Amino acid sequence: MTAARSGRTVGRRIALGFTLPLALGGLWHLASRRGPGGAYAFVPLRDVAGGFLEVARSGELRYDALSTLREAFTGLLVGSVAGVAFGAVLGLSRTADRLLGPLYHGLRQVPLMGLVPLIGLWFGNGAGAKLLVVSLAAFYPVALATADGLRQVERAHLELARALVLGRRDTFRQILLPSAAPFIVTGVLQALAFTWIASVGSELLFSATSGLGGFMALAQAAGRMDLVIVAIASIAVLGSLMNVAVTRLGRRAQRWRHAS
Amino acid sequence: MANARQTWLLERGALAVGPLALLVAWTWATRRPTRPGGQVLASPEQIFGTVRELLANGQLLHHLSKSPVRLALGFGFGAGAGLVFGLLMGLSRTAEEVCGPLFHAIRQVPSIAFIPMLILVFGIEETFKIVVVAKASFFPVALAATDGVKSIPRGFLEVGRVYGLRGPALVRCILLPAMLPALVTGIRIALGRSWTVLVAAEIIASESGLGQMMEMGRQTMRQDVVLLGVFLTGTFGFLLDRSMRLLERRLAAWRTA
Repeated sequence: MTAARSGRTVGRRIALGFTLPLALGGLWHLASRRGPGGAYAFVPLRDVAGGFLEVARSGELRYDALSTLREAFTGLLVGSVAGVAFGAVLGLSRTADRLLGPLYHGLRQVPLMGLVPLIGLWFGNGAGAKLLVVSLAAFYPVALATADGLRQVERAHLELARALVLGRRDTFRQILLPSAAPFIVTGVLQALAFTWIASVGSELLFSATSGLGGFMALAQAAGRMDLVIVAIASIAVLGSLMNVAVTRLGRRAQRWRHAS
Repeated sequence: MANARQTWLLERGALAVGPLALLVAWTWATRRPTRPGGQVLASPEQIFGTVRELLANGQLLHHLSKSPVRLALGFGFGAGAGLVFGLLMGLSRTAEEVCGPLFHAIRQVPSIAFIPMLILVFGIEETFKIVVVAKASFFPVALAATDGVKSIPRGFLEVGRVYGLRGPALVRCILLPAMLPALVTGIRIALGRSWTVLVAAEIIASESGLGQMMEMGRQTMRQDVVLLGVFLTGTFGFLLDRSMRLLERRLAAWRTA
């Protein structure tokens, strides 16, 4: 009885959820048939499908998507390692926090994409410059999470370390790091979304031609709206897949923390 | 008492040490061509000279005035629409069921990824910048409004009904004040994202604005102009964020009191 009922509400939800996209799709289709001007801005949906098949068959789309993914994950790795190291310094030493904290928070305010011209001037617009922008996107949140995590270590645990006369190194490895770990993991997982956006953004801004951003820039230059839409959809789908994975993993990290 | 004051002064002073040390190191390194930054880094004096030069020829004010206007216009449209849309989704389940899935799907797409499409549709003039800022503002505000409405205790609405409030009056007297703290947080996030995406849009295609100033500086190898641009974009972003945070804290204080 209740199962049937909830089944019906789920059906209703799905039906309602599809109403608006279908209606907008219909309007789009109508707009695309209103002369050449309409067909330019509102590319016929058949063309979008055709464009997708074209770049999917030629392997172009997969190649560029993989290159953006690789960039995002490399940046995540580099930025996270640097972020954990820097965050540990901020979180463990009050002096360092006082001295470096204001600089860190000040720099963090500069919009990442606003650093692109400066980084371009200093490091050119090759892979290294892009990696730097993407790594910075991960560095800021991970450093913040690490410092926060280390500051919230329970006093009792630290007293235990003192009672056991643990050295600095052992205190860090056995007490501080494990209690900060869930914060760090959460920070790294959140950073993935930022590195994804930063990869696409830096590909667009550095006028390089690789990755989904470069793919989009080329499609725009060629006036291929269908391919631009294919690129946007790919960015959206890959981004949401990562989001789902991150949320799942994040819940697991939190669960482990509550259990301990 | 005097002691507490002294520690306070010391703490405050310590905060300035980092930036000051950086300034000293920067000046030192760029003082002579033989020093580490002598060849590659613009010196602080050079930046001051640049400020004077760009102020004299009016360029700085030109760029500096364009970006906030675009931000305000785009944010006005985006946040206004976001507020209405968010209220609707928070109040009506049907509205949420109809619009929710598409809303969350589009929300997943980074605003910056829309720039090429918007350029194709609107060209590289003002419109596409305002639209992309509006997109970046719309979603956080709409989300905050929806969550804000949903988290209002039922009792508030019942009190409103008892007083005979309906429709717009209910929204104005009960809903808006109760959801204000959540809304301000959404607005802060919206402003931050809008500012980032506007700077990116100006770098990609524009003839004015701070982003364009930096991009021109890069193309003409004027590092001083780029550094000044980075400093100004950062400061503006910081001020936006700080003022919204202050507002948030005041509103939160009202709430707990």
